Amino acid sequence: MLYLFFFSSANAEGYVKAGESLIWDSENKSYTANGDVEFKNDKFVAFADKMIANYEEEGKDEVFTVIELFNNVVIEFEDETFKGNYAVYTRNDNIIKLTGDVSIESPTRLLTGSELIADIDNNKRILNSANNESLVEVLLENNANN
Amino acid sequence: MINYLIKSIINVLIIIFLGAQSFIYLINQRPLTENFSQKKMTVENFSSIVLSNSGITKIGSEKLNRFDENNFYLEGKSYLENKEYKIYGKNISINLSSEISYSNESVEVVNKIGLLKAQGFKNYDYDGKILFEGEVEFVIKK
Repeated sequence: MLYLFFFSSANAEGYVKAGESLIWDSENKSYTANGDVEFKNDKFVAFADKMIANYEEEGKDEVFTVIELFNNVVIEFEDETFKGNYAVYTRNDNIIKLTGDVSIESPTRLLTGSELIADIDNNKRILNSANNESLVEVLLENNANN
Repeated sequence: MINYLIKSIINVLIIIFLGAQSFIYLINQRPLTENFSQKKMTVENFSSIVLSNSGITKIGSEKLNRFDENNFYLEGKSYLENKEYKIYGKNISINLSSEISYSNESVEVVNKIGLLKAQGFKNYDYDGKILFEGEVEFVIKK
């Protein structure tokens, strides 16, 4: 019990929460979470209807390597919020790729498009659009006043 | 002549007696076996080892109820433990032939990723899948 206490309070880096169910598939090395899914690691917090997380062995432990998020995806990274219909995060390169009706919102602006690639380590954002009309930039109130 | 008759009568009696003994032995054997296999068995503070698809699993509970050779019920605080996970729960049912164990009580699982808490579980051991139903929280260790 002491081990469980220290585990949950001191040694935690992140978590997965699911409102409906979670399936651990040890043969395919994956976890599938359903219903109001929340995932947090040391980089960001993500919300979605469904999540599939693949893991690999790393020494004595196992770590999540690829996180896929499905439907109503919201990712909060520092002061930015990314939204889309599908997202995939790869731990290897710390890149988040979102597709669908994508948006990226910061305190000063809102950008929309069809694909967003967020390179966390290099602090780069690439927003692609299916056509010129779908790429929109909106200056938010704080920035507009300036 | 009289001696011969006495010997013959004794031989016949011995054969009848042995035959009766054998008959009684056979009659007694059959119901004994059936009664034994149908008997429910209960053991307190139980722990044992089960060999299944995921390897050797150690099981234990405050009380073990054995319904038949395939169906067990781990009553009270119970655990399942192998090289992949440690499941701590209450009132866990185990079917050895289908390799399924489940519980509708709150459960905590410790594995190589972290600590998982759920409202219940169903472990499809033959398939390597564990389903946790209801609200689930999985704390990832550093």
